[in-house]
Amino acid sequence: MVAASEREKLATMPAPPSINHPLSMPSRVIDTNVSLFHWPFRRLPLDEVNKLCAKFQQLGITEVWAGSFEALLHRDLRTVNERLLRACQNRGELIPVGAVNPTFPDWKHDLNLCLGRFGMPGVRLLPGYHGYALGDAVFGELLETATKLGGFVQVVIAMEDTRTQSNSIQAPNVDPRPLQHWMQQIPEARVQILNCRPSASDLRTFASIHRLAVDTSRVDGTDGVSTLVKAIGIDRVLYGSHSPFLIPEAACIRMIETDIPGAEVKAIMQENAEHFRNSKSTSRQNQQKQGQ
Amino acid sequence: MTFGLPPTETLRDYRIWDSYFTPAFSHPGTDGSRDLIKDMERSMTAIQLGHFERLCYFAHVGIGTTTDPALENLLRTQPQLVLKPFERWPNRLLGMIQLNLQNTNDSLKALNKWVKDGPMLGVYFPGSGPGAANCLNPKAIRLVERVSELGGVIMQHTWLKTGGKRSPNESTPIELAILASRYPKQNFICAHAGGEWEQGIRAVRDTPNVLIETSGFDATAGFIEMATRELGSKRIVFGSHLPSRSMGTELAKVITAQISEEEKKDILGRNYRKLLGVIQSRK
Repeated sequence: MVAASEREKLATMPAPPSINHPLSMPSRVIDTNVSLFHWPFRRLPLDEVNKLCAKFQQLGITEVWAGSFEALLHRDLRTVNERLLRACQNRGELIPVGAVNPTFPDWKHDLNLCLGRFGMPGVRLLPGYHGYALGDAVFGELLETATKLGGFVQVVIAMEDTRTQSNSIQAPNVDPRPLQHWMQQIPEARVQILNCRPSASDLRTFASIHRLAVDTSRVDGTDGVSTLVKAIGIDRVLYGSHSPFLIPEAACIRMIETDIPGAEVKAIMQENAEHFRNSKSTSRQNQQKQGQ
Repeated sequence: MTFGLPPTETLRDYRIWDSYFTPAFSHPGTDGSRDLIKDMERSMTAIQLGHFERLCYFAHVGIGTTTDPALENLLRTQPQLVLKPFERWPNRLLGMIQLNLQNTNDSLKALNKWVKDGPMLGVYFPGSGPGAANCLNPKAIRLVERVSELGGVIMQHTWLKTGGKRSPNESTPIELAILASRYPKQNFICAHAGGEWEQGIRAVRDTPNVLIETSGFDATAGFIEMATRELGSKRIVFGSHLPSRSMGTELAKVITAQISEEEKKDILGRNYRKLLGVIQSRK
């Protein structure tokens, strides 16, 4: 409080005590939520692949699961996915995650290309921009097919806050609740939610859908990540930044701002993503239970 | 750099003063301070990691800015409760009062009590809740004139929402620019830069007595670069929106921006200290 008696004190007061945070970055860090190329509505400071990769190197991010901004609006998704593949080919840290739109005719062709010939570990879906709901039968069909092909599915809840979207192109937040049904129907399915700023209701939904993974990119609030961990369990939280649309450092700083132990930081920033990418069946927790 | 944070020396050198600290923003707790103190404690890890020097929050002072009549009565009859957070963190907190734009008389009395004769440094014009009114409402204008006489700072909540306002009591940067142009000697802070900052920045660009505040929306890349280019770094003040937003989201906007270190210092604290200097010199 700045009262008359305190003005001089303010001018000379020492800086607040520092926290020497005991955590250090894991030696390997996986960002599960990045997009390459140009955001359709403005240029971004890091929307060139070289600049973006330099930033990841600076931050100590060693593996990046990359989708394409082009997938929001383009209809020729084969060439979108091919450009993404080419951009990732000479970059060991970039893992391409192609896009499929199940409302398009012959969408299985794109899915087969991504998970087959292109060798991608999974696909990224944009229901808000592509005009379907997770309760639609075609989503279930896609999830089942991707699972049979050995791929994971990332579901983008939002790319941008609905309050700041273009007046002419608005995408509603995707309702994740139907995933409950599909995850029961397809027990081998691997699904990750991206870009959700979870409400209390969302947290309850995620907690109730076993095996569902969630990224941290828009999990805001000073203790947002630890709240998410408490709600759904440590093994289902995966580090993601939604860069370059969002500033890469934002998600990174939140990992030390939130009070979680070093082992959990490593799980979120490395181990859970490795397990999600490599596992073709159940969560680590379930596997551990089965092994007991 | 650790987890994206600059070294301690750099953070200290920024001299961060937070203009938008929002603990228990809509209700401080039924006893007048419990939830407020709890949220301030909840924010301390971030505050200390970021080496924030000062944080300004917006106090309810019993003039009908919450929906809880019992709390309003408590704060009115026991005004010392308002000061409890300052007793706990006397060298860290700054304060402004939330005004009730629907109740001009009580707001004018509160201005005298808390800003003219008390420790508060300015006012917050809310965008929602029982105290909100559009900033061009004639009731708001009476309050602006009184704050201006006192040399206080005016923080106006603003948003420009796709699809339009959710309530007629909300204010946009466009409306704030109209108001501010009538009072060219009074500085106004456009909280959240309108949220949709590409239009918010344009809306206030030609009104030099409007500064923008940086918090309250996702860490969308390019914001500070555009704001610095269009307004200059002297017209931007940092806000954290802690604890409902994170230091990661809010501090990253400024510390990672492709601007000079001096411009970052302007935004992170220098500009806000200068704004507060007017009323501080009168106290």
